[in-house]
Amino acid sequence: MPQDPPLTNEDVAALADYARIALTEGELDEMRAYLNEAMALLDPILSYDLSDVEPTFHPVGGVCNVARDDVVVAGLSLEEALASAGGGVGRYFRVPAIMGDGGAS
Amino acid sequence: MTVSLDALSARQIAAGVAAGSFSATEVARAALDAIGHREDDVQAFVQVTEELAYDAAARIDARRAAGEPLPPLAGVPVAFKDNMNLVGTRTTCASHMLAGYESVYTATCVRRMLDAGAIPLGKLNMDEFAFGSTTDSSAFHPTNNPWDLARVPGGSSGGSAAAVSAGEVTISLGSDTGGSIRQPASLCGVVGMKPTYGMVSRYGVVAFGSSLDQVGPFGRRVEDVALAMNALVAGGRDPHDATSQSCEQDFLVHLDDGVEGCVVGVIPALLEADGVTSEVRMALREAARKLEGAGARIVEVDLPNMASAIAAYYVLGPCEAFSNLARFDGVRYGYREDGCSTLAGQSALSRAHGFGAEAKRRQLLGAHLLSSELYERYYLSAQKVRTLITADYRHAFEVVDAILMPTSPTVAWEHGTISDPAQLYLADVFTISNNIAGNCGISVPVCLGADSGLPIGAQLQGPAFGDARLLTIARALERACDQAGVVAPACAGRGGELS
Repeated sequence: MPQDPPLTNEDVAALADYARIALTEGELDEMRAYLNEAMALLDPILSYDLSDVEPTFHPVGGVCNVARDDVVVAGLSLEEALASAGGGVGRYFRVPAIMGDGGAS
Repeated sequence: MTVSLDALSARQIAAGVAAGSFSATEVARAALDAIGHREDDVQAFVQVTEELAYDAAARIDARRAAGEPLPPLAGVPVAFKDNMNLVGTRTTCASHMLAGYESVYTATCVRRMLDAGAIPLGKLNMDEFAFGSTTDSSAFHPTNNPWDLARVPGGSSGGSAAAVSAGEVTISLGSDTGGSIRQPASLCGVVGMKPTYGMVSRYGVVAFGSSLDQVGPFGRRVEDVALAMNALVAGGRDPHDATSQSCEQDFLVHLDDGVEGCVVGVIPALLEADGVTSEVRMALREAARKLEGAGARIVEVDLPNMASAIAAYYVLGPCEAFSNLARFDGVRYGYREDGCSTLAGQSALSRAHGFGAEAKRRQLLGAHLLSSELYERYYLSAQKVRTLITADYRHAFEVVDAILMPTSPTVAWEHGTISDPAQLYLADVFTISNNIAGNCGISVPVCLGADSGLPIGAQLQGPAFGDARLLTIARALERACDQAGVVAPACAGRGGELS
């Protein structure tokens, strides 16, 4: 199977944007080198003919989903849920704008 | 006459408390004394919970005074990897991202240890979010190997292994996604068990790789680990964890049955693999001879796809980590960068400043592998390779009860001597396939290296839900190697006396 072309800094910047991790210029260089080295480590995966093999998404198979009984039970209080949120506003989490410019980057 | 906690097994501590030879409060005081004398060197803890320890001890002592029967771990000093929630403590994952995070509930594994009477001494250092095999990537401080403070304890549960090795606690809990219990156990000269996937609830444990993670115990004796396993499965399936299975059982019943009639597999080619040091090779050959001497039959087996396990793991692990760590968005909890004009900007800066380098690396690798162009080639292929690896094990376990192999290719190395991330990934070469298949595994100290004088662990791997049998074989190996109960010499005897 042909090798993928090495990642460039522009590729890594796009990945970082997707992953929502702001990288400095120096980190871009380091992450590019890392990702290209790590991808080479994964080559054995590409050496197989896996056309007749079923994937195993879960190591212990044959297990059904579980659901608890449909009854109301106590959860976190509003105060507990907001306690780690860096300062909620009243009953709400506080966030910057998500409309307009928000969320577009 | 004074007795040191160093010399006592978990069962002996619980029996001593039950008999009134010493109180749980005296045990807590002795454990805190040991921590006080040893922690400056080892730095296994990120938080010592003196108040919680004395409160739990007082409750045990009150129950005894009231004539109530005491639970099996009554008064036993324990501590928890800092990815496990315990109300009254911070749960930081050794990351700036969660440095101020206060647990709002208690993890089931922690709860079950406390319900069994254990005394909580604190939270233990780890590689940030469990990404690593040295504990050097902790955002707070490195942990030192109690056998040689210049060396790493392994990781990611390095604090859990070091605290037990140093005699600061009798039992600790860690988590194992690709070897993160067994490898530090080997490097620190203690027993560390990764139970079968689903055996122990992960509710309240911060997720890394959801199809791989499993919680397990460390101890200085196989018996201590078996006792902890009893507590962890008590109560059966945890309805809060969809992967949890009902596995309630007594792991002590057959612990001393020995290995007469057991068949243990070995894979000679593994010992010849690149990077395996001659002292590890010698130690494993001797371990096989000792098991044979104890009555086991040693046969050769093969796991032909094991060589691809690292590649499969470094697809699956980062993909799952990328998904799991998306929850740290700088809004609901965790590090938050204020003053941004957009939500996306706030998340990107919060994550940039909250995560360390390795956490960023793994998430970017996961993001890349899950991209639409690469998903089928890598992620789906890795899940298919998992099918092949699991089938290899299934075939092997039709013939053998357990497979013996190294835990780590080397003994502990000096801090900073391996800095290339991809090179560090190879340290998990013998442990990862076990997580991919969901089987159980345990590392047992077998000797000190002939060249280094540092601990070497032998790994036993067993089939899914064969944990009790695995413990029996591990106990036989421990007995044959005469390594049970050893506290690292540089720490032994420094504080920790029961007056």
